Parts: sequence; C-alpha cells; structure tokens
Amino acid sequence: MEDEGGAKESWEPKIIGFFCNWCSYAGADLAGTSRIQYPTTIRIIKVMCSGRVNPQFVLKAFQEGADGVLVSGCHPGDCHYIEGNYHARRKLTLMEDLLEFTGVDPSRFQMSWVSASEGQKFAEVVTEFTERIKKLGPQTKLSGGEG
Amino acid sequence: MTDYKALEKQIQDQARQWLESGEVKYVIGFEKGDNSPVCRPVFIYKPEDAGKLAWGPLCNNNLTKYLVEEVQIKPKKGEEPDLRPVGIVVKPCDSKTIVELMKENIVPRERVKIIGVISEGTINPKALDKALKDVPLDKIAGIQILDGGDNFTIKYDGEPLSVPKDELLNGKCKVCVVHNPVVYDIFVGDKVTQIDKDEFEDIADLEAMSDEERYEYWKEQLSKCIRCYACRDTCPLCYCEECVFDRTKPYNWNEKTVDLPENFFYHMVRAMHLAGRCVDCGGCERVCPMDIPIRKLNRFLLKRAKERFKVVPGINVEDKAMFGDYDIDDPGEGIK
Ligand code: SF4
Ligand code: SF4
Ligand code: FES
Repeated sequence: MEDEGGAKESWEPKIIGFFCNWCSYAGADLAGTSRIQYPTTIRIIKVMCSGRVNPQFVLKAFQEGADGVLVSGCHPGDCHYIEGNYHARRKLTLMEDLLEFTGVDPSRFQMSWVSASEGQKFAEVVTEFTERIKKLGPQTKLSGGEG
Repeated sequence: MTDYKALEKQIQDQARQWLESGEVKYVIGFEKGDNSPVCRPVFIYKPEDAGKLAWGPLCNNNLTKYLVEEVQIKPKKGEEPDLRPVGIVVKPCDSKTIVELMKENIVPRERVKIIGVISEGTINPKALDKALKDVPLDKIAGIQILDGGDNFTIKYDGEPLSVPKDELLNGKCKVCVVHNPVVYDIFVGDKVTQIDKDEFEDIADLEAMSDEERYEYWKEQLSKCIRCYACRDTCPLCYCEECVFDRTKPYNWNEKTVDLPENFFYHMVRAMHLAGRCVDCGGCERVCPMDIPIRKLNRFLLKRAKERFKVVPGINVEDKAMFGDYDIDDPGEGIK
C-alpha cells in the first residue's frame, strides 16, 4: 500500500483511549469545545467507569494493532462508582507489569486521572503520550504486523 | 526424610474409616499406574478398595480439579442431590488450592473432607525417565522410590540407584515454601520445618534480562504453543463454566488460529485471570505437551502481587480476593 508504505516520517501512531463517562470523557469533550489543540492520534472509546476496563481490552487493542493504549478515569476519590478507579489501578498496574515481563514495552501503556474540568490536562497527557509513542515507533510485538 | 509407606498406610486407614461410616461419598486419591511407577487419580467408593490408595513422590496431579467438578454438577430434575462431602488426598500445594476455592465460594468447606499430606517434594516423570535410562524397560513399573535425604534411592531387582534430589524434583518443589498442608481434616506425616529461601530465584534470570531479550525468550516459548488448552483444562482455578477462550459470540476474543499474537494474547490473559489466585501447584506446566514454562508467567505475577499488594494466595480463607479488593494507598507510580 503506497500511502502507508512510503511514509516512515509521516507515520502517525494509533492510540486507543478508554475513557470513563463521567470525568475523563467529559474532560476530553471540554478540550474539544474549548478548541484546545491535541493530537489526532487518539481514538477514544467511552466506558462507564475506568473500573470497566478489563486488562483483556488493553491486550486486545495491542493485538489489533494499537501502538499505544491510554486508560483514563476520575481522580482517586472522585469515581462516580466510588471505587472503580481503585480497582482499575490494581488490575492495570499488574497488567503493565506483565507487559514488562513479556518484553513488550510497558511504556506503550499509560494511565491517567483526568477530571471533567481538566481539558487542558487531557490535551497535555495525549500530546506527551503521542510523542513517546512516536519515538518508540510502530508496535509489532503483540500485533505481529509490520506497523 | 519422608517414609512414603507409612503415610500411605495412614491415608488408606483414614479413607477406609470414612467410607465405612458413610461420612464421605467417595474418596479421591492416587493409585499405582499399570505399566508405570507414576501414580494416577483414583476414585474409591467402597471401604474394601481403600487399600488401592497409593502415596509417593510420583503423586503429581492436583486432584482438587475433580472437587470443583463434583460441586459444579447440577442434580437431575426431581433427583435429591447427595450433598455428602467427598474425601480427597492433597499435597500442601493442592491444599492451598482448596483455600482459594473456598475463598472464592466455589467449594463449601462442608462439601470436602481433606486428608492433608506433608510433602518434601515430588518427582518430575520426565526427569525420572532420564535417570532410569539404564534400567531395563520391564523393570521400570516395579521400581520403589525411597527418600534418602538429599537423594532419592530407586530400588528394583538390580543395583539400587541413588539420584540427587535436585535432578529429579519438580521445578515448583524446588522453590516451594509451604511443605505442610494449610487446610485439612486429618494431617498425615510429621510436620516439616521450612528452611528460609528465596522463593523467586527461578525467575531471577528472566527478570535480569532486557525487554528485548525477554521478548525473544517468550517469542520462542510461546510460538511452540499449539493451544490445546490442556493448561487451562487442568487448572483447578480455571472453573468458569464458559471460558472466554471458547466463546465466539458476541465477540470472538481469541481466534482459534495458532499464531504468535493469538498465543501471546491467550497466555497473557490466562496469566491475568490467575493473578493473585494461582497457588503454583504446577499443574499447567506438568500437562503442557510442548514443555512451555507457563509457570514463570504465573510466578512473576505472584511475586509482583506480593510486592505491590501484599497478596499471597492459598494461605488464609479470610483474605479477600486480590482483584475484589483495593487499598487507597495501592502503588500507581506511573499514573499521570
Ligand atoms: S498446555 Fe501448552 S501447548 Fe497446550 S495450550 Fe497450554 S501452553 Fe499451549
Ligand atoms: S495456573 Fe497452573 S500452577 Fe497455577 S493453580 Fe492453575 S494449574 Fe496450578
Ligand atoms: S466513573 Fe470515572 S473512574 Fe469510575
């Protein structure tokens, strides 16, 4: 495929974001309505709570060719379901460990707490993460693809 | 030093007594194999059959898998279920499995009567094959193994062999720190004193590698996997009635194709499903036809779970399930 193949420098990472409905998704929305610039690398999937994010979702995203995965929820103490983000933190921290142990670069995974009023923070997190993934290049270890 | 014959007798006597009184429905234990010194599972229903029960370092299976099947059987319509407990013979690691199964409300305590046997280590049948290479084939089924302290003495009608334990023991036994059953109705054997050791020395070399080296290691190992699912099927803690790897609707999580990404996905998800639960009974690795060191994945998560969340599975029924619980101060260093 010409437009993909010819283009090492124009390669744009694909980042999948799992964002909770109540804080982080609203934060991303705010960034949009406030016209804050952020990279177009991120495709956001809305979940009701970060606690809904099964480690399996993240691993599947990598397998389907994501170059990075970002999970974002309400700040600790602010989860609309009281404790969903604490559960998410436990599960996903351990999954990140597993990425390390299998030799898949764990820095391709990121978690963040973004509130509904933090449009600016959302943009910063995505920008920073995108820069990091750009340096790492395409993710092929779990997808088997060439990028 | 374990006197296997003495333990065997105690197991038989206890099973016989339970079966005679009708306290248990049946007893799950081990019997001698027909053409092999390796023991196999047996179900004893009659007191007069209790003498079949065998004990030795070749009782490798974790029989608690059958316990799960027993409690999951649904009675036929109109039939009165027989809810009497079943008797079961367990090694310390198998007894840890029962703790987890009770913790997760799968096996009620009253449905099981446990003959808990001490263990100073079991023998890997593949390693035994190697050690017996000079023993005539027709003699192998009849060998007798004695615990000689630092070595096993293998007797047959020829010159007895003495093999260092290190050459024969299962990997899990070399790093095991629980040599006494943790839950039991009857304790069989003399309490073993545990020597302090680094229980995770077996994964230290992998941990010391770079990401790239580790990936190459797992790539080589996991590309061997034929996805026969024996590792899942044998695991007593994989008890879901419908497994995510079998489900194809509404979403097919894992293609049946055997290729590297699918294999990675299978093994990483499996490891996550067992995180904080796997008691390192070694079942999965024992049955793998491709000799994949599956336990290393489990053990790495076991180690991290202990370091990060102070979770040690299989010890205390009162403990909460790791992923059913959290601590406000759980670490989350990398979170932005
Ligand atoms: S038993 Fe071995 S070959 Fe079979 S699915 Fe498990 S790891 Fe793969
Ligand atoms: S994952 Fe393997 S070692 Fe762990 S409990 Fe299951 S069968 Fe035993
Ligand atoms: S609702 Fe936002 S993390 Fe639970």
